[in-house]
This record gives sequence, C-alpha cells and structure tokens, in this order.
Amino acid sequence: MITTPDLIESLVAGASPVRRLRPPATRAALWLLFAAAIVALLAVSHGLRPDLGARLHQPAFVTGIVASLLTGVLAAVASFVVSLPDRSRLWQLLPLPALAVWVSTIGYGCLTGWVEIGPDGVRLGEVVDCLATLALTSVPLSLAMLVMLRYAALLQPVRVATMGGLTVSAIAATALSLLHSLDATVMVLVLNFGVAALFVGLASVFGNKMFSLVASR
Amino acid sequence: MPSSSHDRGPDSTPAAEAAPSSAAHPRSGQESPAAHELDWSVCMARAQGGDRDAYRRLLEDVTPYLRSIAARHFQNSGDIEDTVQEVLLTVHAVRHTYDPARPFGPWLVAIANRRVVDGLRRQGRSRAREVALDIEHETFAAPQANLAETASDGRVLRDAVEQLPSGQRDAIRMLKLQEMSLKEAAAASGMSVAALKVATHRGLKNLRKIFGRQGGKT
Repeated sequence: MITTPDLIESLVAGASPVRRLRPPATRAALWLLFAAAIVALLAVSHGLRPDLGARLHQPAFVTGIVASLLTGVLAAVASFVVSLPDRSRLWQLLPLPALAVWVSTIGYGCLTGWVEIGPDGVRLGEVVDCLATLALTSVPLSLAMLVMLRYAALLQPVRVATMGGLTVSAIAATALSLLHSLDATVMVLVLNFGVAALFVGLASVFGNKMFSLVASR
Repeated sequence: MPSSSHDRGPDSTPAAEAAPSSAAHPRSGQESPAAHELDWSVCMARAQGGDRDAYRRLLEDVTPYLRSIAARHFQNSGDIEDTVQEVLLTVHAVRHTYDPARPFGPWLVAIANRRVVDGLRRQGRSRAREVALDIEHETFAAPQANLAETASDGRVLRDAVEQLPSGQRDAIRMLKLQEMSLKEAAAASGMSVAALKVATHRGLKNLRKIFGRQGGKT
C-alpha cells in the first residue's frame, strides 16, 4: 500500500526524459514504408503472378486491389491516430468506405483447392504457398505495429488491435493479389482475425507487464 | 494495487468537477481556465524533457481534479484513491504520447475515463461473485441459528398446549415449559405430586396425538 503523495514522489524520481511520439500520420507512413519493403522483397523472391499484366486490365481486379490497398493505408492511419488518448474514436470509421468496396470484391478461390489430385499424384495446393506468403507478410507487419503501438495497451487495446488487424489483413491481401493467382481475401480475413486476436492478447499481457513495471518503480 | 486513504485537497470542490479546463488550481486561484490548461501543458512538456520539479507540480496539481472525476463514479474512498493512482501510473507510462501543441485536459480526461471504466468493470466482476449477507440469509446448518423456525415451532407448541384439558395444560406448562420442579409445581398448583405426574404423562400423550394429527394432515 502506498499513499498518493508517495506514489507521486516515486513517479517523479523515475521521470527520465522521454522522446515524444512523431505525429500519427508520420508514424503510419513509416509503417507503410516498412510494409512496402516487405512486399517488395517478397515480390523479388517469389515473383509477381504471371497474369498480372492481363489482370490489371480488368476493372474488377483493379478495383479490388486498389480498395484493399486503400483500406490498409487508411486503417494504418486510423490505428496510429486512435492509439493516442485524446483523439476522437470517429477516426475508426476512416477505412470503412474502402473496406466496403474491398469486401464487395472478395472471391472464394482460396477456400477450395487445399489439395490437388492430378496426374502427378497428390500435391499441396496453391493454398499452402498462399499461407506462406501470408505469414511472411502478416507476422513482421504485426510485430512492427505491435512494437510501435505498445503504449496503446494501457489505453485502447481492443480498438487499436482491431484497427491494426484490419491494416495487416488489407496489406497482406494486397500482397497476395499481386503475388498469387488466387483470390484469397476471404482466407486472409479469416486468418487475420487470428492475428487480431493475437494482437489483443499480447496487448493485454504487455499492458499488465508495463503497468507492474511502472508500479514497481 | 496501491491504495490509501488520502486527505482531499483544498480544491476537490464541485468547481473542480466541471470540465477539465475549469478545474480549480491550487496555485492559480482565480486565473482563467485557459491559464490552467497552458500551465499543465507547459509542465508536461518540461516533464517530457526530464524536469522533475515541473512533473511533481503537474502531478500534484492534477490529483485533486482526478479525485473529483473518480468521485463521480465511486463512493468508496479506497476505490477513488485506487483510481487516482492508476491514472497517475498511466499518465507516467504514456507521457511520451502527449503532444504539447494540443490541450492537456482532453488527454488527461481520456486516460482518467479509461481507468474509471476499468475500475467499474473490476467492481462489477467482484460484485457478481460476492453475495451481500443480510438478516434473511443468516441461516446456517446449526439448529440454533434457525431462529425464525424455532419461533414458529414454539408458537405451534403453545397452540397445542392450549388445546389440552386444564389440569394437563397447567402440569405441562409448569413442569416442561417453565421447568419447575415437582415440589414447586405442587406448591404452586395445590395438586399432589402423583397427580401432577399423571397429568404430565397424559398431557404429553395428548400432545403427541395432536402433533401426530397435524403431521398426518400435512
């Protein structure tokens, strides 16, 4: 048990200089640059989908990919803005229009074709390749966002985690559309629900640890 | 969780319960609300740079205001102080998120509201697990604790005794209910000891019959 004046004294004693956060738009831009680098590296190592040139002439495909990219960008901005305590929660609505367009273009390709049986026998389908790309995109992006938004665990963990999960989902879906011949958005969304749940769980764990760390000072 | 009872500051008045910009300020007295905001904002900006005096002043200044926010949601002084301390801990942990270009009040109130909501949730959870005991629930396995039932049993017995013939009724009352000795009962009633014994025996037999009938009815 500690009295409030004693607590204040202990907090003051531990008050080392801190570096202020950059504006949320700048931080979102940094994160998006990191995401672009990841996707670019994947494109170099994996190669773009063979029919990309032809697909880019199809309005439905272009609409879907632009909408998912826009959803990712807007959700990233919203994540960094709503993570701050004094910003309006209406910022959460920012990616919704783009999300609505993106969801309306979702296909079902990846829900089938887990295993293909052909002349060469049974082999793993394109889905496994999809999953690998998804993991290579989602994991580093989620970790980067988790580190950049770790303070939100004390403030709005669920809201920020949800927004962060949407951001990572949208970017991963964009990457998949560029790299794979499957319309994988349903699977990406389903899997990224898991990413969002992980985000929420880690955020609450980190929040408690941060809290006890501060309290023990 | 740290906790304490703490004396209320001089400015934990209803005036401090208004909007953050109009929170009373111990040092600034009648200054305009904007001046408090600016003062807090400047203190926090300096605290971010490591100025401990400014930080101490800020935390001491906002504490009464935080207490007034917590007091709107909690009655228990311990809960209020817990919430205040949690807000101070959160402010400390996320002080790098404050942008001095923006007003300090909304930033502080958003954090305070968050901790108040957490406190209310915690309170709700503990209340859901706990049951308040009042007189009606003070019934335990030991028969002595079942006072209400004992009282009703006594009333039933008295009613049954009333139904007995007068000799048996007096004998039962004196020897069994008032726990008098045979000699005392004989002296009080003028009956012989033998007659009292017989009357008691018959009275008990009749009571058994009465209770037997009542048991058969139910």
